[in-house]
Amino acid sequence: MKQTTRKVSVLVLASVLLLALTGCKGKSDTVAAIQKAGVLKVGCKQDVLNFGYLNPDTNTYEGLEIDIAYEIAAELFDCSAEEAKEKVEFTGVNATTRGPLLDNGEIDVVLATFTITDDRKESWNFSTPYYTDAVGFLALKDSGITQTADLDGKVIGVSNAATTKDAVTEYLADKNISVTFKEFDTYPSIKVALSSGNIDIFSVDRGILSSYADDTTFLLEDRFAEQDYGAATKLENKELTELVDKVITDMIADGRMDTYKAKYNLN
Amino acid sequence: MTKLFSIRRWMQLFGDFDQFLAGMRTTLIVALLGLLIALALGILFGVLSSVKIKILPWIARIYVEFFQNTPLVVQVFFYSFGLPFIGVRIPDLMVGILGVGLYHGAYIAEVVRSGIEAVPKGQVEAAESQGFGHIQVMGYIVLPQTLKITLPPLTNQAMNLVKNTSVLAMIAGMDIMYYAKSWAGNNGFFYQGYLSAGLLYFILCFPLTKLTAWLEQKAKQVPSQKKINNGMEADV
Repeated sequence: MKQTTRKVSVLVLASVLLLALTGCKGKSDTVAAIQKAGVLKVGCKQDVLNFGYLNPDTNTYEGLEIDIAYEIAAELFDCSAEEAKEKVEFTGVNATTRGPLLDNGEIDVVLATFTITDDRKESWNFSTPYYTDAVGFLALKDSGITQTADLDGKVIGVSNAATTKDAVTEYLADKNISVTFKEFDTYPSIKVALSSGNIDIFSVDRGILSSYADDTTFLLEDRFAEQDYGAATKLENKELTELVDKVITDMIADGRMDTYKAKYNLN
Repeated sequence: MTKLFSIRRWMQLFGDFDQFLAGMRTTLIVALLGLLIALALGILFGVLSSVKIKILPWIARIYVEFFQNTPLVVQVFFYSFGLPFIGVRIPDLMVGILGVGLYHGAYIAEVVRSGIEAVPKGQVEAAESQGFGHIQVMGYIVLPQTLKITLPPLTNQAMNLVKNTSVLAMIAGMDIMYYAKSWAGNNGFFYQGYLSAGLLYFILCFPLTKLTAWLEQKAKQVPSQKKINNGMEADV
């Protein structure tokens, strides 16, 4: 009996210590701490052309969200956007990893085609939206699918932890079309599943779909569930949230945002 | 920390728990049928490894080496995304069953082979000198002993097989891990989702661990000596 009590108390002590350790984090992610460290850690997409894309030829990130990250760093470290390029450390994220990485302090800001929703606002802070996109469908040309009505009974591949599934369900319910879903972690894996015929439709925001279109696929006419992308920061980190929001509203106000969008054909 | 202990999040988990149970069902089906295939293949190739006809052990070797030396993830991706390009489409559930079945079959074949080899050669020679054929030697002398030796490592393989079914999540195979990722991701409640997945796998595997320990204990016990009447009757 004594033995068991001792075992239990050791276990309890160990878990308390573990919790205490994880609880210690989070103090260091204020604006001053980032300025002191001299590096802004940004979570971005690495597989979405024109938004966040790791160019394999140059091994550098490029896209609208990458340029926004440089502008935020410029404000943070009080330098030009060009100089700020040295001070941003990018981490490739996907829909599943971006939340936890933000929560545990691995990254300071997420700029990764992150749709703003009321539910998500309870977990993270979002900036003013910098881009509005709509969901669409990508199908194989030889699949026999030509219009929305053909989707009945088909399998739709969507990204895990994305808003796409709900948006598609709602959109198709109005048309009395029922489909099943398969969720994947990355866009390339959804594309492979489409090409290999494991799914019939690849559905995500059209801006992202366009970077996966090739000569075997085509984009259906459907356009629905317009959604806003925002920069996300940790819920507790109000100071950084305000700074990020200020940069984005400034960029929209003085036309820099439009210039960047034009650069990536996103208008 | 507040996120881990948020009552709202745990309540939502219990509300959506049917998703996890659906995943548990898939995992169980894949694990059980996968285990059947693995056992059948393992015993077949394990016995083939010890056969004297030269070509058969070779075939067993090729099977074992091929499946042991490539990652399960690669094999499963091949079944799921590779085979369709040559016109063969396997349903996800079958990919899971075949995936863990073929993979662990190779490991079980090794367990069976080493179990057979662990039976002292003298016993085989003794039996052969009494006129036993190869199949009789196996059936009466070797395999009954092999069974006892191999049971603990076999249950260990079964446990690993259960855990390895989680590879299905990567090809949207609707198992525990798939639903955990889906639920955690869609709600942003990662602590609750992944902890529950871990717990469900634990519930499946813990009894197997206990079984392994018990079988190991049993295997150590030497059977009590049978009473022999001073060897007198043998002379009669």
